[in-house]
Amino acid sequence: MNQLIKILEGIGSTLQLLVRSASYLPSLPRQFGRFVEQCYLIGYTTLPIVAILSFFIGSVLALQAGYSMQNFGAKQLIGALVGLSMARELGPVMVAILLAGRVGSAIAAELASMKVYQEIDALVTMNIPPARMLVMPRLVAVLVMVPVLAIIANLVGWFGGAIICSSTSFIGIEPTTYFATMRQNMEFKDVLNGLIKAEIFGFFVVLVCCNIGLNTRGGPREIGAAVTRAVVVSLILILVLDYFVTKALM
Amino acid sequence: MNNLQQTARVGLFFLLGLALIWVTFETLNGGKILKDEGYAITAGFESLKELKQGDEVRMAGVRIGEVQSTRLAGRRAEAILRIDPMVTIKSDATASIVTAGLIGTNYIGIDLGTAGVPDLVPREKTRSPRGFFSRILPFLQPEPEPIAEIQTKTAADLNSIMAQIGALGEKLESSLGSLGTAFAGDGKNPGLIQKIDGLVTDNREKLTATMTNIREITDKVNKGEGTLGRLISDPKLHDELVATLNEIKAGATEAKGFIANAQSIIDHVKQGKGAIGTLVFDEKIGDDIRSSVATLRTISDKISRGEGTLGKLLNDDSLFRDTQAIMKKADRALDGFDDTGPITAVGVVYRGLF
Amino acid sequence: MPTPEAHPASSSDPAAAAPAAAQAVGVSIENLSKQFGTFEVLKNVTFAVEPEEIFVLMGPSGSGKSVLLKHIVGLELPTSGCVTVDGRDAAAEDTREHVRMALVFQSGALFNSLSVFDNLALYPREHRVANAAGIREKVMRALQILSLENAAQKFPSELSGGMKKRVAIARALVMEPQLMLYDEPTSELDPVMSATISEIIATLKDEYHVTSLVVSHDRELALNIAHRVGILMGGSLVVVGTPSELKASKDPRVAEFLNPKIDLKNPRFKKLET
Ligand SMILES: Nc1ncnc2c1ncn2[C@@H]1O[C@H](COP(=O)(O)OP(=O)(O)O)[C@@H](O)[C@H]1O
Ligand SMILES: [Mg+2]
Repeated sequence: MNQLIKILEGIGSTLQLLVRSASYLPSLPRQFGRFVEQCYLIGYTTLPIVAILSFFIGSVLALQAGYSMQNFGAKQLIGALVGLSMARELGPVMVAILLAGRVGSAIAAELASMKVYQEIDALVTMNIPPARMLVMPRLVAVLVMVPVLAIIANLVGWFGGAIICSSTSFIGIEPTTYFATMRQNMEFKDVLNGLIKAEIFGFFVVLVCCNIGLNTRGGPREIGAAVTRAVVVSLILILVLDYFVTKALM
Repeated sequence: MNNLQQTARVGLFFLLGLALIWVTFETLNGGKILKDEGYAITAGFESLKELKQGDEVRMAGVRIGEVQSTRLAGRRAEAILRIDPMVTIKSDATASIVTAGLIGTNYIGIDLGTAGVPDLVPREKTRSPRGFFSRILPFLQPEPEPIAEIQTKTAADLNSIMAQIGALGEKLESSLGSLGTAFAGDGKNPGLIQKIDGLVTDNREKLTATMTNIREITDKVNKGEGTLGRLISDPKLHDELVATLNEIKAGATEAKGFIANAQSIIDHVKQGKGAIGTLVFDEKIGDDIRSSVATLRTISDKISRGEGTLGKLLNDDSLFRDTQAIMKKADRALDGFDDTGPITAVGVVYRGLF
Repeated sequence: MPTPEAHPASSSDPAAAAPAAAQAVGVSIENLSKQFGTFEVLKNVTFAVEPEEIFVLMGPSGSGKSVLLKHIVGLELPTSGCVTVDGRDAAAEDTREHVRMALVFQSGALFNSLSVFDNLALYPREHRVANAAGIREKVMRALQILSLENAAQKFPSELSGGMKKRVAIARALVMEPQLMLYDEPTSELDPVMSATISEIIATLKDEYHVTSLVVSHDRELALNIAHRVGILMGGSLVVVGTPSELKASKDPRVAEFLNPKIDLKNPRFKKLET
């Protein structure tokens, strides 16, 4: 019962934070510097790990598909399978999980320590709402950067699959065939679908991590606890949202 | 790192992302962003069967658009077809739902219509001009509204055709079985029976059937009753069969892309090996069947008249053997078609022929 | 004392940045009680601070002084009773829009990710008090007053405890608030710097209209610059009076608190044991 109330409290305060941050949107031009800094942290510095991970996910996907599909003689369809899986599901979910682990945890840690060391209180007494200065630029930055990360994840994953397909002897699908079947069986709609999913996941990951950071209470020990909670809640949220968003976009 | 550098990197990064999204869009949607969408027409059917949104629209086999949406309109089902710009359709052209490929891919086939007949939609109306915003943001472009309706016809259902072919095979086979009875009863030339391959031996039981049986059948054939009879006497039905078989041919061609093995089957079929090969690829199939059956009729007529024709027939054993071999193979193939339908057609062809 | 004009600190109204016209505000605390769980930190505290007054709040550590200050800036909500600033409920969010308050946190509460200069410049920048050059001038002047010019580009983690305290005070000064709250501003400081801080607090109201509420154990500061002194013990206000009244107080707790005798023959902790 207590747990349930806590969850509801969390949902409520998150939505409240969302509304507040949205109301500070007009101050974005004044906070352009902060926005760019957050873009840098969320997008630019996350790129390498996104690229590495999506390359291997694409490769493994192709490998597994090649292995299982050779029995059905449907190997030619690997391109379509890797393309669709990356674009519609794995790309967005992977980007969101990396954001949760790399960006969400950092946000939670930073805001939690600001809270614990009374920096947030100082901002409040200075009449500088934390939602305006700390949350809104991050939310806008994640909205701007996630599509970039997601499209790169897709493309790198596709190429990873193509390389594996042509270099693995028991698959032996040439890149031209691989991409031809991908093009035949995919539409930009599928990619767009994935980008929208990534956008929604990324946005809520950052929002939830901000909220958990800002609601930290107690001493320095709580900073660690807040980071753990932020990542766990983000991961659960991603997978739950994934189901509903996928369904809604079908 | 100073702020300017950071801003520059973020800016570049963002532009890179936009460029990649653009490239993906161009690649997957074939640069549709700058082309216009063309126009839309409706096609009404009793049932759309397996047809769904996004399926192709082809004219004489060439892709000219796709199924934009499907809907129920009163007592019929309607497909809205989006047709590429500058493609005109004759007003007497008809659309039909065609099943192609082995996994049941459907498309709408539109025939060329008659030359000289006015177009269903005049050429100048085949383009949908784009607004400024939908040029930049292609998602804003509304789908074209249907502006005309095309006539439709229900394409021959492959399943029922196949069932008919199966029945045909059975009838031919039992006729031949009866002929076999004659040989066995005669016993003048036992060497012949050894020459006849397995089927006849297997059907020895049938060989005990009375001559009445075969007389009935041949009578029916003469009177144009039954599938075989109709096939022989009704050229329209024959034409339909040929059309259907051409569709099978299209399906078989498509199969190449899906199953590597299918290629060799198709090759085999193309070489005219096996019954289906003959049926599918021999333009003169009708004539062949007709002449085979005519010969058959002559034979059985003679048999029924009790003339001493068995000797002649024995001399003509090459004809008999050929006919029977074909029928045996066809029967095996068609048996499969009969109950599994076109979905596994190639698999059945494979089993039947090899 | 209500101020009729809308206050410039409102972020939504950056054009109205005219701090010089601001009036000092009064604080009134009525029957304030605060509980954390079952632990009662403040018990029925009532007192008022007049505009432009310097009120020093003393009391043993753990008596609830910091908690009281947080109530005034609206960071804590009363369990019962109420706190009003300039006639507005301190717990209401828009009070901070109308009344400019600065709190010098006991721990400093500097922004660790910002340099000292940026810590000081944050408020004027966010509220567009002046242009970049004007802000720079204000910030440098505040740093100068507290002998921190050389620390401008340092980060809080590179500062000593006393320096952090001074930066926190400088940051509050830059805000030019109507109500200034200090939480132990002179602890951790050497005697000279303590005296300097006392002078700053005392003379600030000569520059502009400001009400000061100082929480401190510093007897020198309290008795020299305070208009009135209150002593909080165990969550209750035991006495409020002018420094001379306090010195003359017969209350043994007050006398003991203001003039504790270091008695090595008979130490207090031993008394506790018996
Ligand atoms: N957030 C809090 N939760 C629980 N107890 C608190 C909290 N803040 C302060 N306290 C308790 O309230 C009492 C008064 O604290 P404080 O006002 O900081 O003392 P001081 O007078 O030394 O500034 C202390 O006993 C402290 O433990
Ligand atoms: Mg304290």
